[in-house]
Amino acid sequence: MMLEYVWLTPLIPLLCFVIIGFFGNKMKEGGGYVAIFGALVAFVISLVASYEYVTGDLFAISLPFVQEMNWLTIGAHEINFGVYIDSLSCVMMLFASFISLMIFVYSVGYMGHEEKKRRRYYAEVSLFLTGMMGLVISSNYLEMFVFWEIMGLCSYLLIGFWSFRHNEGDTASENAASAAKKAFLVTRLGDVCFMAGLFILLNEFHSLDYAVVFAQANIAAVDPTALTIATLLIFAGAVGKSAQFPLHDWLPDAMAGPTTVSALIHAATMVKGGVYLVARSFPIFVQNPDVMILVAFVGGFTAIFAASMALNNMNIKRVLAYSTLSQLGYMFLALGAGGYLMAIGMQTGNNELIGLGALGYVAGVFHMINHAFFKALLFLGSGSVIHSAGTEDMRKMGGLGKKMKITSITMLIGSLSIAGFPLLSGFWSKDLVLETALAPAQHGLGAEWTFTALFLMGIITAFMTAFYMFRMWFMTFRGDEGEATRHAHGESPRSMTVPLIILAVFALGSGLGILFGLSNAITESLSCTLGYLHIHTHEGMTIAEDIFTNVWTYVSIVLTLLGMYIGWLMYCKKSVDPGRFNKNGESRLYKLLTKRYYFPQIYNAISWKLGYGVAKGVDYMDKEVIDGAVNGLSNAVVGAGDSLSAVQTGNLNNYAAWVYTGVIVLVAVIMAVFIANGGI
Amino acid sequence: MIEIPYLLSLLILVPLIGTVATLFLGGKGKNAAIVAGVFSVIELILALTLVFVEDLSTLSESYVWIDAMGLKINFALGVDGLSILMVVLTAILMPVVILYSLSEGDRPNYFHALMLAIQVGLMGVYLAQDYFLFYVMWEVTLIPMYFLISWYGGPRRHYAAIKFFIYTHVASLVMLIGIFATVFQAATVNGYIDFSFAAVLAASPAFSEMFQTVVFGLLFFGFIVKMPMVPFHTWLPDAHVEAPTGGSVMLAAVMLKMGSYGIIRICLEVFPEAAINWQWVMIAIGLASMVYGAYACIAQKDLKKMVAYSSISHMGLVLLGIAMLSPAGITFAVLQMFAHGLISAVLFMVCGFVGHSLGTRDIPLLGGLAGKLPYMSAFMMFSFMASLGLPGLVGFVAEFGVLFSFWEFLSGSEYAILIAFGPVYMMLTAGYYLWAMQRTLFGKETEKVDLSHAHDLRRSEAVSMGILCALIALFGIMPLLATDFIAPYADYIVAIIGGV
Repeated sequence: MMLEYVWLTPLIPLLCFVIIGFFGNKMKEGGGYVAIFGALVAFVISLVASYEYVTGDLFAISLPFVQEMNWLTIGAHEINFGVYIDSLSCVMMLFASFISLMIFVYSVGYMGHEEKKRRRYYAEVSLFLTGMMGLVISSNYLEMFVFWEIMGLCSYLLIGFWSFRHNEGDTASENAASAAKKAFLVTRLGDVCFMAGLFILLNEFHSLDYAVVFAQANIAAVDPTALTIATLLIFAGAVGKSAQFPLHDWLPDAMAGPTTVSALIHAATMVKGGVYLVARSFPIFVQNPDVMILVAFVGGFTAIFAASMALNNMNIKRVLAYSTLSQLGYMFLALGAGGYLMAIGMQTGNNELIGLGALGYVAGVFHMINHAFFKALLFLGSGSVIHSAGTEDMRKMGGLGKKMKITSITMLIGSLSIAGFPLLSGFWSKDLVLETALAPAQHGLGAEWTFTALFLMGIITAFMTAFYMFRMWFMTFRGDEGEATRHAHGESPRSMTVPLIILAVFALGSGLGILFGLSNAITESLSCTLGYLHIHTHEGMTIAEDIFTNVWTYVSIVLTLLGMYIGWLMYCKKSVDPGRFNKNGESRLYKLLTKRYYFPQIYNAISWKLGYGVAKGVDYMDKEVIDGAVNGLSNAVVGAGDSLSAVQTGNLNNYAAWVYTGVIVLVAVIMAVFIANGGI
Repeated sequence: MIEIPYLLSLLILVPLIGTVATLFLGGKGKNAAIVAGVFSVIELILALTLVFVEDLSTLSESYVWIDAMGLKINFALGVDGLSILMVVLTAILMPVVILYSLSEGDRPNYFHALMLAIQVGLMGVYLAQDYFLFYVMWEVTLIPMYFLISWYGGPRRHYAAIKFFIYTHVASLVMLIGIFATVFQAATVNGYIDFSFAAVLAASPAFSEMFQTVVFGLLFFGFIVKMPMVPFHTWLPDAHVEAPTGGSVMLAAVMLKMGSYGIIRICLEVFPEAAINWQWVMIAIGLASMVYGAYACIAQKDLKKMVAYSSISHMGLVLLGIAMLSPAGITFAVLQMFAHGLISAVLFMVCGFVGHSLGTRDIPLLGGLAGKLPYMSAFMMFSFMASLGLPGLVGFVAEFGVLFSFWEFLSGSEYAILIAFGPVYMMLTAGYYLWAMQRTLFGKETEKVDLSHAHDLRRSEAVSMGILCALIALFGIMPLLATDFIAPYADYIVAIIGGV
């Protein structure tokens, strides 16, 4: 009976937020245990409710669980507030609350020295959890948008947590406060588009409920052009939240926040919001295959674009941040390619294509889950390293492996997993993504060149990923001891290492879920929303068979191993000097990468000119033109030397007398006219 | 629910008696605040009983004021879905502001008496059902505000006070001409001069389109100067910069709403045909104010001046909503009036406090206040976020509703208008607030200002802001509490406009 109480999952963290906000200073760990308790309860409810749903009747007949009440009436349109549970929501709920729980526990060790500021930290992360849980159980778009923005607010507040700190080795944002502002504004650009998309949906469907918007009969009745524009606008929201090109630039700067925040918000949960949005909106996205090409292209391009910037970065958190961008790109690539197959399949009534498309959808969602585990692990590992070494600069690390055994081993597992080492979690989902990306080209469904190019980008990204992850790992844990290593405290406390170990287990094994029914469960969410479709797709062991009979899988394994090997040669064995390839950091490409393709500068210039530049003009207009005219007018009326600007005291009576005289005359005239003529 | 006789008259009488009582009893220390507080709380209780009345029209009161020589002026009061929110808002704000101003040390009896006098006028404006009474009450708000600014204001207070007085006075005189024209025109239909709303409304279908369009213009001018809309807005930032905090709060939170209230109550109800003719002008002025005000905010160095310009920008949204002439547009325009009332009150309290505590509100001189003044910073953050339209708070609901109604209204290539203005407005609003926070709250603690005497919020100040913040969240989570009142009225007025 827990399913009826799923609304508690956002509500309990919200209560924790209030309690910690008011009384956190009087509590142990600044309310940290309350936050952990909140996350634990949210996780347990998610677990029980998911189990109930998946074993229940609704799941068996592919229907979501829905609870709603009226929240707002806009003209003739009713907007509800409610709960919508299908297998996608279940999956999201589970991993979001579980990872939050891990990270909250970890925070006890990591934030322990923050003393009074801990209250603020725990209050804000609890509020964040409210946003995340609310997002995934929302029953309509506006409700989702509310939670979406609450997450954005928490992201803003937590990036700026150490607002006085200047960013290490970065010129893009002056300090954490400006990084926070940038994150909020850039994502807001996406949010504004998202909101416009909601306007169109509300205007067309007269409701924002998923159940209404996704219903085939309703979709068929609306104007397809409007729907396409709406999906594009909604996608822009996803691009902002998930930091995809061209709204990607806020995420690297967001690393100014505490590492736990980077792990939670900027890797495992919030940035997945965009992916979730597209996955959730699949029924309207698949109406137009061209939209899906765009989704795939944005994803594929971001994947390689972001990976390139990770190649030469010296900051451990930034390498992970670029890697997050790149992996999120994979997810969009999978959703886009899968959606394209599905869209074509729906147009031609080809069930095989629909099945393949559903597999792409599964790949995207599956990669999202795996990525949450291994990226949270990697970020928490880097946090452990930073906690011990006191720096984020990998050049000062080196040789930390001896001092931090658990951290180094768990991070190795994370790195292997993200690199796609066979049988680890990243391997399964990444290869499924690549397989989907290639499928449109293989089946000759149009846009062959685009998809072939995207596939190539994806596979090159896989190589780059293996390289930069192992560059990071070797630079940090192997080689000669760096200056920071000598002062390092050694291994982190148990509250930090235990979550690392648990997450490492998931990074090792979560990929196997696909062999045991996970794909079936995820596909079921599509069946829920696209109930009219007959979706028959590969599942379980057949997927493994697909992967291992595909020649490209072996190519990508070889590339992965090659990337790792080069990383080892350059940064562990040091028999190859990386300086040879970039003229010791003087080459143009190297500079281009460190400057982030000049995106920060372009953003700054545009926002400065369009914002402050125009504002200055407006200010001048106000002071000189409008007030000038007013003063001039008063000069003309009252006479020189008595102008408004010169008025200090005492002239009020004069003014009043003048004005009243005028009015009395006017009123007299009007009365006379009316009485004489009987009105106008 | 107990029925209170003469409820509407009491709503005007209680603050009036309070004004006199405060003036005479409040000579020493906190006495003035206590006396004024007691009256304002009584007023609040009276106002809250309105919420539970099932049929608001049963409360109407009318007493003959002047009835001679074919001229009828009534002391007529009434309340409906449009005015109830404004009445309640005024009633809520008054005790909160008095609590906030508890420590006002300079002639506190005059200060609090003037505040209550403003409330008399505001209640009168929102309850009046007679043009003469409406105009008198309109003027009643003006004079105590003038004295509040010129007695309790900052260094350039006299300039600001005069500018405020002349601007709004000229506007109200133009409005007066409009009112006379309306009443006399109605008289030619009715056969006698009757100032009551009902009489004029009954005669209004006979007004010619030409007459409607011209008189709409006169009244509209009077009202948009009050709101204030670009380009008649420059009195507002000056008035706010110089006004004491309590005065600023009342000015921004409820006095500006008199303008938008007047547009709906008089312009739309009585001149529906003209409303359609003027529709695009209203849209243009609303959009211009939204964007122009937001841009002006970015350039401001004075925190309070920035917030003042943000009021212009947000009131632009109100005008845009009204201009839609649709149920959704008007409902959410009124909700935006209510939302802006609550939010701007906190905004001005925060800005006033910064000036008071640090001796300056100059943004470039500030920095890193979050560590030094955590409670003030929390309220600043909350109010800024509320004002920039954070979902979950009432400002967002209103903004979403108005912008959606605009979207609904547009067709074809007109969408380009919303696409051009909407994102700019929303991005700029977020931009100036976040930039201001970055420079005042975050970063390194400022060395340009002596922070050694800086103190955080007193309990009374924190409580008063806390109450308002709780309301902002409450109506954000349960917007139906407010829109249920407005929606029937919006349907009624749209039916009038649709009927022409």
